[in-house]
Amino acid sequence: MRDATRTTDGDLSDSDLMRRTAAGDRDAFTVLYQRHHAMVYRFARLMTGSNSAAEDIVQEVFLVVMRDAARYDPARAALSSYLYGVARHHTRRRLARDRQFVAFDGECCDTAQYVTEVDVNATLERRQTLQQLRRAILSLPRKYREVIVLCDLQSVSYNDAAAALGCAVGTIRSRLHRARNLLTQKMGCAMASEEDHQRQSVRCAV
Amino acid sequence: MTSIRHEDYGLADALEALRRAEACIETPPHVEAAVLAAWDEEHAHRTASRPRSLWRNAAAVAAAITIAIGLAQLGQQLQRTTQRAPERSEDSRTLLLVGEPILQGEPVRMVRMRVPAATLTGLGVRAVTGTPGEHVDVDVIVGEDGVARAIRVGR
Repeated sequence: MRDATRTTDGDLSDSDLMRRTAAGDRDAFTVLYQRHHAMVYRFARLMTGSNSAAEDIVQEVFLVVMRDAARYDPARAALSSYLYGVARHHTRRRLARDRQFVAFDGECCDTAQYVTEVDVNATLERRQTLQQLRRAILSLPRKYREVIVLCDLQSVSYNDAAAALGCAVGTIRSRLHRARNLLTQKMGCAMASEEDHQRQSVRCAV
Repeated sequence: MTSIRHEDYGLADALEALRRAEACIETPPHVEAAVLAAWDEEHAHRTASRPRSLWRNAAAVAAAITIAIGLAQLGQQLQRTTQRAPERSEDSRTLLLVGEPILQGEPVRMVRMRVPAATLTGLGVRAVTGTPGEHVDVDVIVGEDGVARAIRVGR
């Protein structure tokens, strides 16, 4: 996670960029966007299961940055934690508005990643597993989904996740433990039903 | 990446694969365009609103000056009229005629104002009694053309 006060190779730190953004510096705002848009987008996409919802959330998060940059206090949290917090708020609102989890749009880049593999069966199997995992994550209660997305899929530390979610580090640990157990169960059920389906298909073919 | 227990090895593998798959996902470029367009719109609005507020302030100052001049003229008229003779109405209020007389059947409007008693005393309205700090209700009768015709002062 990027340190809010760090300056590397002459680059401005996040807090400097936020100060400049608050003063109306468009270039600073653009740099902030380029640094952080991907993590916000991925978080929102994994939380909602929808590309279009994630795009909306990215826009809303950076509108907040644009308007409230002056309120950001680097002493309280790293900018990434702050952005995750804002993204989480807008994700919750979006999910509450939609009232249901939307199916994944299906435009995943894992096709590009695995298309070169020789073993087609293994590729399909892996892709299937990823789809099952995505569905399982989307079916988790929101508080467990948040920790899985942040800690396991976005590589956010426990401390930063606690800052983003506004809870204690111990809560993050316990939620993560519970979330992984739930995921294991769900994935086990999904695998079992998939095996049943394959067995039935084979029986039909015979 | 946070540590995952050994017994969750299958899940850890799957999560790691999903993490790698997600890591190469980028926000579509049109989102950046929309965000920057929002920035430009917001800041163009802010810049444009500055001259507008200057005009608003100028208009407010002009209105205040007009009202002050109008009140001063009204005060002078009032002083001249009261030096002649205040008319007493039946309900023991003083009716001060200022400017043009009210024509029969002329539609008028009445505007109620609260002014310090000292101000009216200074204008020579003897009907007003009370301490100088006290406020008195005054009815200003305004003609159809917007010009004050009379002022009625209560006791």
